[in-house]
Amino acid sequence: MNIAEIRNLSMSIYSGKGVPALILDDLNFHIREGEILGLIGNSGSGKSMTAMTIAGLLPESAQVTSGSIEIDGKDVLKLSAGERRKLLGEEIGMIFQDPMTALDPLETVGKNLDEILRIRNIPKEERKSRIISMLETVGFIEPERIYRSYPHQISGGQRQRVLIAGAALLKPKLLIADEPTSSLDTVTTVSILKLLKDICIEMHMTILFISHDLSVVNNFCDRVMVMKDGKIIDSDNTEDILHNPKNAFTAELLTKAKLDPRSLGLEFSEVDPSGSPVLKVMDIATAYRDGFFGRQRAKNTIEGISFDLYPGEVMGLIGSSGCGKTTLAKTICGLLKPTGGNIDHCSGKVGVVFQDPVSCLNPMHTIRWHLNEPLVAAGIKLTKEEREKKILEAIKAVGLEEKHLSRYPGRLSGGQRQRAAIAMCLILEPSVMIADEPFSSLDASSAASILKLLSKINRERKTSILLISHNLRVVRTMCRRVLVMSRGHVVEEGMTEEVLKSPKASATKALIDAERQLS
Amino acid sequence: MRTSLQKKTRIYMAVGFSLLAVILVAFVISLTHLYVYDPNSTNAAAKLLPPSSDHLFGTDNLGRDVFARCMEASKYTLLVSFCGVFIAFVLGTLLGMPAGYFGGITDKFIMLISNSVMCFPGILLALVAVAVFGPSLFNVVWALGLVFAPTFARVYRTGVIGLSSKEYILHAKVLKVNPMRIMLLHIFPNLVPQLLPAVVIGLANMTLFESGMSYLGLGVQPPHASYGKMLADAQSYMTMAPWLIVFPALLLVIYVLGLYFLSEAARLSFGGERR
Repeated sequence: MNIAEIRNLSMSIYSGKGVPALILDDLNFHIREGEILGLIGNSGSGKSMTAMTIAGLLPESAQVTSGSIEIDGKDVLKLSAGERRKLLGEEIGMIFQDPMTALDPLETVGKNLDEILRIRNIPKEERKSRIISMLETVGFIEPERIYRSYPHQISGGQRQRVLIAGAALLKPKLLIADEPTSSLDTVTTVSILKLLKDICIEMHMTILFISHDLSVVNNFCDRVMVMKDGKIIDSDNTEDILHNPKNAFTAELLTKAKLDPRSLGLEFSEVDPSGSPVLKVMDIATAYRDGFFGRQRAKNTIEGISFDLYPGEVMGLIGSSGCGKTTLAKTICGLLKPTGGNIDHCSGKVGVVFQDPVSCLNPMHTIRWHLNEPLVAAGIKLTKEEREKKILEAIKAVGLEEKHLSRYPGRLSGGQRQRAAIAMCLILEPSVMIADEPFSSLDASSAASILKLLSKINRERKTSILLISHNLRVVRTMCRRVLVMSRGHVVEEGMTEEVLKSPKASATKALIDAERQLS
Repeated sequence: MRTSLQKKTRIYMAVGFSLLAVILVAFVISLTHLYVYDPNSTNAAAKLLPPSSDHLFGTDNLGRDVFARCMEASKYTLLVSFCGVFIAFVLGTLLGMPAGYFGGITDKFIMLISNSVMCFPGILLALVAVAVFGPSLFNVVWALGLVFAPTFARVYRTGVIGLSSKEYILHAKVLKVNPMRIMLLHIFPNLVPQLLPAVVIGLANMTLFESGMSYLGLGVQPPHASYGKMLADAQSYMTMAPWLIVFPALLLVIYVLGLYFLSEAARLSFGGERR
């Protein structure tokens, strides 16, 4: 039995006077009852828009130009607004990517979930008992405590569980999960996937799972569809997609997702550990200021961290979210003052690339301005021609073109923005680059090309890189040495291969376990 | 589709009313010197004349032409509101930006001052200042500027705090860009969408405050005309010569309403990020 039938679905987005952009191009697929269907594609391929169209949550400017969506025998596109609203929630549940913004921060978790039932006139006592039992179902040991907590008091993974509970409260037949794990670390991702699978079986739910990451579909999805440019270009059972892809694009996605150093042509610079280090971190501790007038100091977020980074070395820094990786990065580049210890930049410059390709560039200035700004800040005096030459050099080094210089960040894709951010960092020729999860919000293709770019920079310029990530695969590919952090301390360090082969600390073991379950 | 229509209507209304206000202002300024009647010359033979082709808005109890006086009143209103908002804006920038950017004790201190100013009714503070330093146009302008500064400081502070966690600001800090430069070149352009509506609303509120103070006799001083003063004077002739109240009040309402809609238009047009 099929729970949903999508036939000849096309959708366009109208913007201003221009020609409408075709977002979905003649989609034909069905979702079988009780299955987990994966929808994979790069950013901009139309996978989220497919979900939005099915749920009827399209923006005003979008219009379905042809086709039909049948859910349980009803054509959703022909329903009135009221009937559609009823459908959403009772027949279709949705989970979004960002668990931070999906809950009202001023209300407790219980109140947030209560809203869903209250508008359907369910008596108060029943509402509470249903919510508590649902919180138990999604794996909370103390559902009563979670019920009373505010969203900021629980972790990202717990919030995502709460959202799943919310979506499952009305026992919808179809659950659409739009990148539910993209903002979570590997350990949490594994647990959320397991939860979704359990719910699917226990509550007889069907799941449409959307992701840009091919590595999560294994052991999770029953079937996988691959989208590109608004078309479904490949569709098969998971086994065949992963091990025996028939479509060239799927095969390419797979290779990129594996981040194999040979197939990507990665080559790194030689490291001479006997030379003098370019960055010396000695026993640093950092705390966030707290309290009135900022005098009181909270407990140290990170403590007792020491390491040396040698010229040309790529060092990994791994750990699950909240372990203090970013705090360490901020301390090294001078955004936070250490409360103890010493950081020696050894007369070199430290550049930094942040995680979020959306907010890494100032939306009100062009790329040329962005590249000029580091030169101005460093007080480097150059003639107009020299300056322009340097800017051109930097933008070409990261694989962008001259035409991109006069553009505003809003007109670049995520990968291009990340490249521009790297160019901004390169223009000062730093001896150390700190890359804080530079791939985590990019799709496999962009991530692989950024990875290639970093290896090229490392090889050609002998720039040392401190790579912060929760993705073990990236670390294994790129890094000679690795530091493992947990709860603000370095719990393990050594050559990447040795550490990952025979992990000693429990935090490392947990990370490796999680990765194994994914691939 | 319905919401999109509502949005369009809102934009049209906003643009329409703002245009009306702008046309009004332009008209008034361009005609002040060309108009046949002097706003302050009295004429005992032409007291309280109803509107006619000679006197478009009629004449007041001293035989002065109401149309000419309305034009002069507009001139002073514009002068006071623009200068006042300028002072408030500059002060607000100087206070709010560092408060939001540096945080900590700087923030606490600056916001303490600005909140203390905000707890008094604005018009009362302005009245006290003018009562102490004497009623004059200059005093009205700086007093209103002071009273309005905390509003701008707040808009700035909130905006700066919101932007400070953005990675491009963090990156600028890593690059050791001068804090002044970060505030003016990195942060300020991103605040324009919030500031522009605040400035226009500030103009409207300033106009109302100035009229209120002139009504109480502490604003623009006679013999110069001002809307508040004209309305106060016209009270005693309300039944005999309603045009004395109707026309100044109507112009004031259109002007202020136009500004409110203009701020709405500014807010709508700055909806998205720059491309």
